[in-house]
Amino acid sequence: MSRNKIAGCIIGGLVALAASTGARAEPGVTDNEILIGMFGPLSGPLIAYGIDPVAASKMMYEEANKKGGVHGRKIRLIVEDDKCNPNDIVSVVKKFVTVDQVFMLHGGSCTGAVSAAADYINREKVPYAMLNAAGDNAVFPPTRYVFGSFQGTQRTYAAAFATFAAQQLKAKRAAVIVHDDEYGKANAAMAKATFEKLGVTVATIERIPPNISDVTAPLLKIREAKPDVILSGAYPAPAVLIAQKYAEFGMTAIPLLQSAQGIPTPSVFAKNVANPDALQNFYYTWAFNDIGDAAVRTKYISLFKAYNDNREPGPFMMSGIPSAVAVIAALEAAGRDLTREGFVASMEKLNVKDDFMPGPIEFGPKRRDAARTMVIIKYDGKSQKVMPGTYTWDGVEAN
Amino acid sequence: MFLQAVLSGIVMGCVYALIALSLVLIYKSTDVVNFAAGEFVMIAGYAGLFLLDWFHLNYAVMVVLAIVLVAVFGALFERTALNRIIGFKYNAEAALVPMVVATIGLSFVLKGVVRVIPSTEEVLRLPPLFGGPPVFLGDLVLQRQDIGIVVVAVLVMVALSLGFNFTATGKALRATSQNPRAAALIGIPVRRMRMLAWGLASALAGISGILLSPKLLMTPDMGSVVMLGIAASIIGGFTSLVGCVVGGIVLGVVQNLVGIFLSPQAIAVTPFFIIMLVLVVRPNGLFGEAMRLKKV
Repeated sequence: MSRNKIAGCIIGGLVALAASTGARAEPGVTDNEILIGMFGPLSGPLIAYGIDPVAASKMMYEEANKKGGVHGRKIRLIVEDDKCNPNDIVSVVKKFVTVDQVFMLHGGSCTGAVSAAADYINREKVPYAMLNAAGDNAVFPPTRYVFGSFQGTQRTYAAAFATFAAQQLKAKRAAVIVHDDEYGKANAAMAKATFEKLGVTVATIERIPPNISDVTAPLLKIREAKPDVILSGAYPAPAVLIAQKYAEFGMTAIPLLQSAQGIPTPSVFAKNVANPDALQNFYYTWAFNDIGDAAVRTKYISLFKAYNDNREPGPFMMSGIPSAVAVIAALEAAGRDLTREGFVASMEKLNVKDDFMPGPIEFGPKRRDAARTMVIIKYDGKSQKVMPGTYTWDGVEAN
Repeated sequence: MFLQAVLSGIVMGCVYALIALSLVLIYKSTDVVNFAAGEFVMIAGYAGLFLLDWFHLNYAVMVVLAIVLVAVFGALFERTALNRIIGFKYNAEAALVPMVVATIGLSFVLKGVVRVIPSTEEVLRLPPLFGGPPVFLGDLVLQRQDIGIVVVAVLVMVALSLGFNFTATGKALRATSQNPRAAALIGIPVRRMRMLAWGLASALAGISGILLSPKLLMTPDMGSVVMLGIAASIIGGFTSLVGCVVGGIVLGVVQNLVGIFLSPQAIAVTPFFIIMLVLVVRPNGLFGEAMRLKKV
């Protein structure tokens, strides 16, 4: 082959390569739509954390689509069930990225499960917004593509409780009961750090397995420690056992503060505890304004019913809203010329304040946990009362 | 604290003992370990709750009905599934592995069926059989449900003991478990006895479910408590009914003491540690018979 012909082939190849690179669109983005892979526990024992939050997120996307979408593009979802299981979530995420070629991922209700997917997501450089998982492991330390904790981290809950206990309940001695998993570790560490900062002695920290069936031993040890307040980060079944045993052992004069994840439905919790004495001094954390503001509650419940065949939502419905609102806001800010990196840059600058939460949804170059402000609810088995004030974690890590 | 832990341990131990009795009854009559025993406990609890919530039955009627339902279910499982596996052989040893696999399959089926029912995704609780304010003995606190559990467990054990030793049916059950071929030869209806054993064992699991559900809370996965029943059986001896009771109580008490003096995190591994210890020191369990060779 002559030299001229070889040069021609090389130049032609380079031109073709440049042309193909220029023409390659961002995955999941066309002129008319943005494709988002959505997932949550839609079956199994943790379905309460997923089914209504997923429906609530879908509803917010549909509302945005009704108004013309984002820069003329409608948001289309593919929804999968992750059962809150790490193996399932990784399979679902890989399918979304490699088969469905989504623009971004939005989902996950369980810290352990979302943490399992975080490495892959960062490797593939796909933007990811958690649905409602606390996700402490996945947002601390922060990584580029994972945004989460839209209803607060364990650090936020623990700091809120500890501050409330010290400032409002004037506690001097505290007992903490948590699970012996990552969730519980984060909770205990932050509770201890906050208490110590506020001059409260941590009398005992009891760590229990998530599947514990008899809480006699840890409650006896807590009773022995004579605390002024008890903080519980337990999951639903152990939370009921703890409240029951706390009443059985005559400890009801000591306020019991329970993280929200232990109470999927307050009325069912009260029915399961089946002892009004156990709820005389009972409080739980909450990341939303629906309990304290009837107008907010009515607004979002009506919207949910309109999109879901008039079905009454459970209490976790609100937790599906902030992540969808954040994604929509970031897509708007990223502009019509949408890329994954552009979207990530927009999320990093996000600061959204709306009626559904007491604090803003906020990220930063070194921050990936959205919500740091909680309210405290007093629940006596019949009525819920928002305690005065809001409680914001200052972002200082426990040692 | 120590006495409270022992007392609470005895209460939970009685429940484990009932589950262990259910396991040992089936094992003695069919050589099968019923891995679905935990799910029988679970469905008794759910059956009781649904009978109360959906049909508004009187509590006493609900208890009897729930136990009968589980007993009938267990007997029917033996007749329709296990009997087919055994075929026409009076000696069930040839079909042992398939029968055990059948019980494992049954446990998955029962869990799946319960999960499909609406509202079972939430943690539920059966109201206690014995309600009311707790009983105080000095610093010790005893719930009426706890006292009820111990009383019911003791009554069941006494009834079983009397039944096996002093009734014709009880003796026939013992004969069937010791030597089915010889039992058949003297006119004992072996298949009927096996079905009866399954029904009785399922009823025991049902009683455990009614007693346990108010304490343990109900989820479709609560059947995992069968592992504690198996642990109690191994500790006490898989061939001894008295052993089940002692094994259950030992397990309940030791778990609580470990939780107090070591760590609540160690509670989950305690049963398995005790099993290992018992198998090393006394492989047949505290009250079990020595292993014997059987002709196949």
